[in-house]
Amino acid sequence: MKTLVCLSIVPDTTTNIRFTGKMDALDTTGIQWIINPWDELALTRALEIREQAGSGVTQVSVIHVGLKESDPVIQKALAVGADSAFRVNYSPADSMEVALQIAEVIKKDHYDLVITGYDSADYNGSATGGMLAELVGWTSFTSISSLSVSDSMITLERESDNLTETIAAKSPCVLTIQKGIAKDPRIPSLRGIMTARTKPLTVIEPSASDPGTRILTFENPAPRSKCRMVDPSNVDELVNLLRNEANVL
Amino acid sequence: MAGQIIFAGLLAATLIVFSLTIRKYIYRFRLTGPHRIRHWGKRLMIMFRVAIGQSRIFRRPVIGFFHAITFWGFCIITLGSLEMVTDGLLGKERSFAGLESVYDLITGSGDVFALLVLISIVVFLIRRIVLNVSRFHGVEMKRNSHLDALIALIMIFLLMVSLLSYNTAYLLSNSGNHEGYYPVSSSLAAALTHMDSALAAIILHISWWSHLILIFVFANLLPYSKHFHVFMSIPNVLLSRLEPLGKAQNMDAVMGEVKAMLYPGQAPAEGPAPGRFGILDADDVTWKNYLDALTCTECGRCTDVCPANRTGKLLSPRKIMIDLRARMKELGDGKKKNGLDFQDGKFYMGDYITPEEIWACTLCNACARECPVNINQPSLILDMRRYLVMEKAAAPPPINLMFSNVENNGAPWQYGSHQRLDWTTGLDIPVPVMSDLVAQGNKPEYLLWIGCSGAFDDRYQKVARAMIKLLHHLHVDYAVLGTEETCNGDPARRAGNEMLFHMQAFNLIDTFRRYDVKKIITLCPHCFNTFLNEYPDLGYTSEVVHYTTFLEANVKAGKLKSSGGVFKSDTIVFHDPCYLGRANEVYQAPRTLLDIVESGKAEMEHSKSFSLCCGAGGSQYFKEAEKGSGEVFAARTGEAVACGATVIASSCPFCMTMLTDGIKYLNKEDEIRNLDVAEILVMDAGL
Amino acid sequence: MSILIYIQQEEGKFAQSFLELASYAYALANQTGGTVTAFVAGGAAESDIKNLGNYGISTILMEAGSSGQPFDNRSSAISIASAASALGATCVLFADNSSSRAIAPRLAVKLKAGYVSGVAGLPLKIEPFMVRRLVFTGKASASIEILTPVKVLILARNSWQISENQVACSIEQVNPAAGLPIPEFEVVKVTGQTGAVRLQDAEVVVSGGRGLKSGDNWGILEELAESLGAALACSRPVADEGWRPHQEHVGQTGKVIAPNLYIACGISGAIQHIGGISASRVIVAINKDPEAPIFQFAKYGIAGDLFQVVPQLTQAVKKLKS
Repeated sequence: MKTLVCLSIVPDTTTNIRFTGKMDALDTTGIQWIINPWDELALTRALEIREQAGSGVTQVSVIHVGLKESDPVIQKALAVGADSAFRVNYSPADSMEVALQIAEVIKKDHYDLVITGYDSADYNGSATGGMLAELVGWTSFTSISSLSVSDSMITLERESDNLTETIAAKSPCVLTIQKGIAKDPRIPSLRGIMTARTKPLTVIEPSASDPGTRILTFENPAPRSKCRMVDPSNVDELVNLLRNEANVL
Repeated sequence: MAGQIIFAGLLAATLIVFSLTIRKYIYRFRLTGPHRIRHWGKRLMIMFRVAIGQSRIFRRPVIGFFHAITFWGFCIITLGSLEMVTDGLLGKERSFAGLESVYDLITGSGDVFALLVLISIVVFLIRRIVLNVSRFHGVEMKRNSHLDALIALIMIFLLMVSLLSYNTAYLLSNSGNHEGYYPVSSSLAAALTHMDSALAAIILHISWWSHLILIFVFANLLPYSKHFHVFMSIPNVLLSRLEPLGKAQNMDAVMGEVKAMLYPGQAPAEGPAPGRFGILDADDVTWKNYLDALTCTECGRCTDVCPANRTGKLLSPRKIMIDLRARMKELGDGKKKNGLDFQDGKFYMGDYITPEEIWACTLCNACARECPVNINQPSLILDMRRYLVMEKAAAPPPINLMFSNVENNGAPWQYGSHQRLDWTTGLDIPVPVMSDLVAQGNKPEYLLWIGCSGAFDDRYQKVARAMIKLLHHLHVDYAVLGTEETCNGDPARRAGNEMLFHMQAFNLIDTFRRYDVKKIITLCPHCFNTFLNEYPDLGYTSEVVHYTTFLEANVKAGKLKSSGGVFKSDTIVFHDPCYLGRANEVYQAPRTLLDIVESGKAEMEHSKSFSLCCGAGGSQYFKEAEKGSGEVFAARTGEAVACGATVIASSCPFCMTMLTDGIKYLNKEDEIRNLDVAEILVMDAGL
Repeated sequence: MSILIYIQQEEGKFAQSFLELASYAYALANQTGGTVTAFVAGGAAESDIKNLGNYGISTILMEAGSSGQPFDNRSSAISIASAASALGATCVLFADNSSSRAIAPRLAVKLKAGYVSGVAGLPLKIEPFMVRRLVFTGKASASIEILTPVKVLILARNSWQISENQVACSIEQVNPAAGLPIPEFEVVKVTGQTGAVRLQDAEVVVSGGRGLKSGDNWGILEELAESLGAALACSRPVADEGWRPHQEHVGQTGKVIAPNLYIACGISGAIQHIGGISASRVIVAINKDPEAPIFQFAKYGIAGDLFQVVPQLTQAVKKLKS
């Protein structure tokens, strides 16, 4: 079985997010780019399965839609154990374009399992997996918290708001995974980094695509306010604030 | 004549057996890697002090005295043994007598030492058999180890008995006409004057032959025993590691790889791919590591002082050495028999020393500091970590998380570089930032290195602010790097990630060079150790001091005084941070600073080079403790409480976290508090 | 604008989020001059559904009783697309839950629609159609234009007040679309969530530290957690002492979580603990020491005795929920 893990590349989570002059683009100076944490977990799980004797998964590839600047981060995926990498040489405007580009690649090659992450830490869209599945006409499963493959048979656990379903799925299918799929993401060893140089990173020219949406402007949130102290004798006020101001209750 | 022939035959047999043993060892040494030796003058000094002078043995003064006696006795008696061998070959008696007064010295001291050694052996046997001293036990001390020790002690006992009886019988057989001087044996002879001279002659022969046969047998047993240290200890000490204990050995292969990654244009010529990173099996060690393993006396002092072992973790520094010796035997014999490709599916790392042991180490260097024969155990542990991390990425997950943080946001925790000056809020004093000063055309004399804890740890930010007050008060010309500070790579290196260490270091060195930084003051001893001892290997040397050394100079120049009184009713005890103390032998500076503060003083049961680690080192701070019966930080805090202190003074951000936690853990918050030395000075000087 | 919203019911009842969705849709309909149609999934009684009219929905398309097939987002997308096309809907709205996130992206492809999730508030503009959402995991917000005639949106959780707007409401039965694919998978087992909420995914977390003094005092936190439907967590010393299981330890060396609401009781806020919770949307701290570092990271705080404050908080929450 061949597995394809879709990678989004996002700014490191401690980055101070700033936008350029007209507030219409991310200011990328000094940003450390990383593999989207959910995609990293997806890759970890795929590699664990590939390493399991008798799983039937023989290859784990990764794909990213982006420009040359992403290559060093894609190399990390190779360094932790992916067999090959693909980069569609395009800067996508939204998830629809990402899905369109990846769909074209999947149609040209044979994959049994395509995995995406719950959302990406930049635009938090949560869309690519579902769109991709519809474009290639496959079944998709979302909110997958557990994946195992034995003898090419896929077993999933899908979480909905109050149920966990254990599912026996057929390939090919698209999975959108969430946390719980793997415990700790892998980090590359030096040996892995050295080996990564020998693995293929194929650049693919993009197909025609149209975005469904466009980001016009960004806004930075108000600076973190001081802690709003509530009097201990007035706990009701806290509940009020949580419900109406913070919208978390 | 017949006697000479028999003797020569025995001697020859002994030497042949011995050389066969040596051949085996030479084969095993050939499997190891290179290790460079320099600075012979310094080494000779260390050899005289540590090996001949038994300086480390005396760290346990009472029992150390008995061992020193045994060792010195051995040295003297060996001279006598040389004479006996000569006698045997030449068919003479007392061949060296021509040395006259020197001969008297040799024989006299030999005779006295024979008795003293005899007494020492009895003491040792009592400790082993009756007192059952705890450090003689451990999971690595198998039945053979105990048997080995007993056999050796009994043989030495018999050697001393045979020597004394030989000397006594000699005196009885040559009354009035003997060579040499025998204070002890002459008393014995005096008590036995009435012995039949034929009997005396028989005893003489039996003693002589048994003494020599014992020596021949013993000499050939030694290489299979922990008493190999009889041969190995002096060379091992001569070939000691000379660098400060805090310095980790650089890996040139990794440095080359990282340089190629960071500066592709300057890639050196393509050489062969580097071999294995770190230590997996016994043939990955250097010849010096193996020499260490052969020298190990199994005394257990290292394990006894190990903070991990004392709190019930599986780690035992002695086991690290014993197991290396055992595995090299297994591997060496296997390769000798089956060829160099021999695989038995076992490895030193994994089958002998488990990852749990490897990850329990705090790299406090107590074991290395304690070892009487200058073995360095921590470097083996670190090299095994390097294998796990750089070949297998198999560090414990929280450590991997720390690596990711260091790599992605330049600090071991989830904080961004843009937050690196947040600690200055609340200060009335402006903090000079390097980039601002340099832009204005100024160049400060010192770089004050805040470090990641000073920047992000809530508690330690207060210490950073205290430091600013002190530097301001002393009119020091300094600046901080502010948002240009990044982790210098220390936590990555201690956890075995040489690659990440080099990446961080080279990037930081670029920044240092850009600002032409020459002098650095650090808040944290780990940062101090890294800049002082390890950055020079990467091509960057600076004058770096820990802040306690810097302030000590100011105190001695009278520039820093206390206004007195704040701590008058307190008793202050100083906790030596491992990376200032044992790692770099800085013990006095913080104490000089505390001396100017009017207060009671105390020292903990284990202080200075005997200090007990706080438990945070070796990247333990960033992970869960390994399974054990207790917590290192609790044990250390307990010592502080026990010495009657009301203030524990620390000078390291990790120690501070551990000691503060320790106070809460022991519920002693009402009795004792933990303050940094800088804070104490600020409070006492009323700044 | 013809608006279609997707609503799920459970045993004749609708979760809050769907009533918020209906209220939002009604407001959007007013903003654009249109009507709201609801597609209600999975066979329910007409009598239960009828009161959706109180929330501004003028037409209800009732999907025929469930066929016993497991939830298959593929089929759902086909059914909704069919309904949307028949209606000529230009905007299809979803509430934020796992089914929506499964269906909506597929639907967007089917309808060739621009898709935005996490939409906060009514559109900033209708021509061109612009909505706002948080990005970079809450560190910034973005104004997004949808370029296509048809729009598919998922609302952000808790972002719209429920409002009652009674309208005349008609109900139509909808037959299953022709050619629905048979699901190519099998549900082997179904487990309901156990009483305990899973920490990693919990939206609300109640956490305790050394300030609780002993593991025996955890009852007050358990009650608070129960009233909030929250998961329990703790700081490292608590786990180390064995007061709480290690799985509850949140922090640098424990779990790193990002709930909507994190209530820290008797936790001082050491850097390693903060490292585990800093991505939480809202942190509330309860600690008797007003200087405790946690107050620097919290949005709301009470400097008081947690043994008094926590039970009071539980009461107040219970009052709210009833």
